[in-house]
Amino acid sequence: MIETLERGSLKVDLLRFKYENSLTDIFNSLNFKIERGEFVGLMGRTGAGKTTTMMLLNGLIPHFIEGELEGNVIANTMNTQRYRVQTMARFIGLVLQDPETQIFGITVERDVAFGPSNLGFGKEKIREVVSKSLKAVGLDGYEKRMTSELSGGEKQRLAIAGVLAMEPEILVLDEPTSELDPAGREEIYKLLSGLKKKGDVTILVSGHDTEEMLEYADRIIVLDDGQKVWEGKPTTLFRNVGLTKKVGIRPPEVAEIGNCLKECGLVNQDSVFVNKDEFLQFTKNHFISFEMPNNGLKKDYSIKNDPVAIETRDLSFNYQKKNSALKELNIKINKGEFVALIGKNGAGKTTFSKQLNGLLRPTNGSVFINGNDISRLTTAQLSKEVGYVFQNPDHQIFSATVYDEVEFGLKKMNLTEKIRSTRINNALEFVGLEKFKNRHPFTLGKGERQKLAFATVLAMEPKILIIDEPTTGQDWDGTNKMMEMLDKLHKQGHTILMITHNMLLAAEYADRVIVFSNGKVVLDGPPEKVFYESEILRSASVTAPDCVILAGELRSTGYKNYPVTINELQNDLLEQLAWKGNVN
Amino acid sequence: MLIEYYPAESYVHKLDVRTKALGFLVFTIISFVFLSPLVNLLIVLCACVILFTIGTPLSGIKKILKPLLPIFILMLLITGFTYPASNFISEENRKTLFSLGTVPFTMGGLLLGITLVLRILIMVITSTIVTYTTPIEDILQLLKKIKIPHQFAFIIATGIRFIPTMQKKSEMIQEAQKARGAEIGTGGIIKNIGSYITVLIPLIVDSLRMSDNLAIAMLNRGFGAMKTTTDLTEIKMRTRDYLICLGEAILIVFAFWIRSKNIGVL
Repeated sequence: MIETLERGSLKVDLLRFKYENSLTDIFNSLNFKIERGEFVGLMGRTGAGKTTTMMLLNGLIPHFIEGELEGNVIANTMNTQRYRVQTMARFIGLVLQDPETQIFGITVERDVAFGPSNLGFGKEKIREVVSKSLKAVGLDGYEKRMTSELSGGEKQRLAIAGVLAMEPEILVLDEPTSELDPAGREEIYKLLSGLKKKGDVTILVSGHDTEEMLEYADRIIVLDDGQKVWEGKPTTLFRNVGLTKKVGIRPPEVAEIGNCLKECGLVNQDSVFVNKDEFLQFTKNHFISFEMPNNGLKKDYSIKNDPVAIETRDLSFNYQKKNSALKELNIKINKGEFVALIGKNGAGKTTFSKQLNGLLRPTNGSVFINGNDISRLTTAQLSKEVGYVFQNPDHQIFSATVYDEVEFGLKKMNLTEKIRSTRINNALEFVGLEKFKNRHPFTLGKGERQKLAFATVLAMEPKILIIDEPTTGQDWDGTNKMMEMLDKLHKQGHTILMITHNMLLAAEYADRVIVFSNGKVVLDGPPEKVFYESEILRSASVTAPDCVILAGELRSTGYKNYPVTINELQNDLLEQLAWKGNVN
Repeated sequence: MLIEYYPAESYVHKLDVRTKALGFLVFTIISFVFLSPLVNLLIVLCACVILFTIGTPLSGIKKILKPLLPIFILMLLITGFTYPASNFISEENRKTLFSLGTVPFTMGGLLLGITLVLRILIMVITSTIVTYTTPIEDILQLLKKIKIPHQFAFIIATGIRFIPTMQKKSEMIQEAQKARGAEIGTGGIIKNIGSYITVLIPLIVDSLRMSDNLAIAMLNRGFGAMKTTTDLTEIKMRTRDYLICLGEAILIVFAFWIRSKNIGVL
């Protein structure tokens, strides 16, 4: 049968694909089709084959990255085996993960013009597409700006504009939101859905963004271990909590409650709720009013008498002559606390954290660690007390083996070889890398390199740990594993400061949340208090977890508790149902 | 490194890249024609006048000159000690200022050393004027006009684009290493070289990874799809460019004429 494919459609018919230097096939038959004008999400855990799939679509595989390929990939009626990538680029635009390496121009305008001028568009046409694509991504007015001065989110949007300017029929984006804060993430998805509505652009986007995929995608394709394991409407996927967990995708918060009620036999599979409205509809339909005994019971906030681990007094800081980045901060953190530092990009979280180990020095005021003023101590000296884990592990790895890498910091501490070796083994065992001791660090996957960077800090046995965005770019499994480790360290008595954009993690793990906005602390307290200050949170551009918003909506039913995790809300709901005798 | 292009509206910004390149050549050649520091000092002063009237940031120039300072001192010492008195025409310059053991430090040697230092200064300042006032695209077009292949020009442009990126990366790596006990920028030279290895290796590995991604991104943007690419702007000589070029030509002829009269020698 001869199939006639429409322009703007995609068809993958793979029998097999294997990377040149790899021993095993990455794909064993992969088939899917995307119609013109569709918005499709590609989901699945890290290593499932999402990036490989995307590189197949415009012929980067097999033309640039070689391997054994059997089967056909047809994009916009063109078989990728027969066309050069540059030729395909006119019709199928591919935006990869790191925007930094996709920017070629020194000014914004020149960068967007790079693609069209390679394709030989006329001068007038180029001017037209440049201003059109900058407008589409919301960067109009940025034409003459230097690309090096853009923020992360702006760079990501510029990378999309650069591809849009070539007027492709199909737009493919590989995890475009992995490095962005929640506001930036929302913007990218809004932008994509706007593009879809405006014209006939076909969109395929990969990512771990459950809520956004649910809201914007027409269809989801799930990959797991090189196989297409599921395909269909996002609501159908996310109603099936068991399935999403099996394939390593985080289910929406409310779906967890829905799933629990399904298991109690209160709702059926098709009506497991995936959004807030459906949940509220359920409570309305079941005339749930909260009268259970623990409703409105005050939690016990007894004042702890632990010694102070970190204290800042009137701490102010400015970068050069610009506006002050931190304004007179007076913060006391007790030993053994787990603190989440939240706030939008540029609010001062990282700038504050870097004061604590001397990477930055206060312009005014002082910092005390365990009661000592640190102004005379170097960062290296402080590293024994304050461990700092950075976002990108590749900014520190330089040794030839995993073992040596961990030993680096210890060598500076004048420890005997025996103590060193015990500490290294303990640290590697803690993060689960003991079997890779003699491997070269760069042969490890990104998630493992992250753990290695973590181990290098742990081996120095600091009592205070600062972790900058521990879960950026990680899938759900990776996030959970990282958080388990932090939780364990917390229970061992470490003081932990975690910088994060992930409110779910802050709510679940931290016992104190500090919200930064414009270099000031606007909220500071236990998550149960902080996340219910909706006015202040809004002014700091922070969105509370879904369950906080739901609890607010349930006030009219007499609900008086302050849950911050979906589990707490779910337990209250179950307790109420049991109390009324609906469930055992 | 040089100061990056900054979009402004000074009179040098408005000139064609060819006028500026010729100016750079003329200043440099003249500085090599004369041996006397007085002539070169005059050129430095002229260059400085241009530099300051177009509003170049002083801090940037300081950053360029600071690492050159030890080289300047070394040059003065070497020329002072190594140029024998017989090399100089005038009696004045044959004079020995002082001796280190049996090696004399001559007046002429010192003056020649100053000339060499001034030559470097002239090149630094004039090239700074060019890079500060000329967008990279114009420089690429100049390269294209003198028939340098497009690929080569593209490499240069991309290289310049990545200077700030690499600077930021290097800062981040230094922070990461300091946070786990590395002492960077403290202690002696040997210790310092050792500690920079901890910065260099991640930087190199990261650049390799970035260059792979860049190659892929180039294909995604259709690099090499056509034989020629479209230039968004065309460089254009105006009347003032022709006038200034004429002035530059007269200047260099004049300089050679003076030199032929044996003025400005040592």
